Amino acid sequence: MRIPKAPLVITILVLAVVVQTALLGRIRSWAPDLVVLTVVLFAMTRIRVELVLLIGFVAGLVVDLAGTSLTGLRAVVYTAVAYAAIRTTHYAEIGRIATGLWGGILTFMALALVVIIGTLFGQNLVGPDIGNRMIIVPLLNAILAALVAPSFSRLIDRDTGIFGYS
Amino acid sequence: MTSRERYGRALPTLITLIVIGVMLMTFDIRSEGQGVVGVLRQGAQTLLAPLQKAASYAVTPVVNLVDSVTDVARLREENAALRREIQELAAEINASRDATVRLAELEAIFGMTPTGVDIGRTVANVIGRVGVTVDEALIIDKGTTDGVAVGQPVVDSQNYVVGSVASVTASSATVVPILSARQGMTVLVGQAEGTLLPQTGSDLMRLEIFGAREPVLAGTSVVTSSGSLRFPAGWLVGEVVEDVQPSVDVITVPVRPYSSPAALRVVVVLAWPPDPVTASAPPTTTTLPETSTTTLPEGSTTTLPEDEE
Repeated sequence: MRIPKAPLVITILVLAVVVQTALLGRIRSWAPDLVVLTVVLFAMTRIRVELVLLIGFVAGLVVDLAGTSLTGLRAVVYTAVAYAAIRTTHYAEIGRIATGLWGGILTFMALALVVIIGTLFGQNLVGPDIGNRMIIVPLLNAILAALVAPSFSRLIDRDTGIFGYS
Repeated sequence: MTSRERYGRALPTLITLIVIGVMLMTFDIRSEGQGVVGVLRQGAQTLLAPLQKAASYAVTPVVNLVDSVTDVARLREENAALRREIQELAAEINASRDATVRLAELEAIFGMTPTGVDIGRTVANVIGRVGVTVDEALIIDKGTTDGVAVGQPVVDSQNYVVGSVASVTASSATVVPILSARQGMTVLVGQAEGTLLPQTGSDLMRLEIFGAREPVLAGTSVVTSSGSLRFPAGWLVGEVVEDVQPSVDVITVPVRPYSSPAALRVVVVLAWPPDPVTASAPPTTTTLPETSTTTLPEGSTTTLPEDEE
């Protein structure tokens, strides 16, 4: 049975936000950033690029609204990361390690942009252990990206033709 | 599909979305979280809260199990330390019992009654966290239907100050820990009053005391001051981590908060101030009878007029 794409995308996004806030938030230092990872993985699918950017924007906005941070901050950052992901997705197609590195670098970019843009807008965003987390979170996302990217594409596109591996 | 066709409208879409995002940020800053942005935030939190509650309910046993297994060694050490602490505290209680009785007798003699009403408490479960990497906040499962309101102070199960409620929906609320807060808080360390501020990139806070005349010693407790409009007086916040000598102008003291938001499962929201309308009025701790005659130990007599507090 074919699952319609739009409800599937919305379900995945909501799941990512809920799991991130209700489960992964509890293990703090060793938690990946599932929402960024999801946005990055959507860039690897055959969804239209405009929609991938919109997905990034909405995902960021939901995370902003779920917390107390500046509304629009993560929306802007995740949109920029989605664009960077779309323009560099061919690197991720080389192999599993390349996919992991690509996911990790984009996650690092997202974290750095949140801190930089947030600071420019007068937010006190740099909490304790920020240095460790700027390393650990991209690393965990890299591992997850390498592991789940083909399955994610298969789920969304019902096809892993985009990958040179599967 | 050629590269040109695939990315054709990507750049205009990106620019449009970024402009919208920057506008939202500007509105949020200008409206200070109120207005349309405030309504949007409340709506999103209302929608997400039931899902977070369900997820929290489902995963709590697993998280607790993992925590228990990994924490066994630390808990054993903690238990031994706590037993020693119990013995010390029991000795302190015995020593202070005499002082408590004496205080009650003196209050009865002078007709003093405390005006502060008991602070209502709402116990809440932490059902989520946002801002795992930066700008941390806790989501709790109690909201306006349970009497939680924006600005109310939040403490942990040991009565250490955690933070305050930043936003609230009918069934959930968001708590900003003092380490992530953008405002400072007025506190007391010894007899000196100062302002406790979060520090960027550190789990220590910065206490600034103007005109301090005495050194501040490591291990001294920091408590909320009656000069604070955001927290009731006398609640433990943290402890000073290094000795600081007084200087000419202002001294800066590093303070480690007692409460660690990362480990919290349950928090307590304090219904404070009891009457929000009088929140800005200066707090009073005791009242004397309308016309009271107070006999001082030396034998002198003081009479307070009826209209004086």
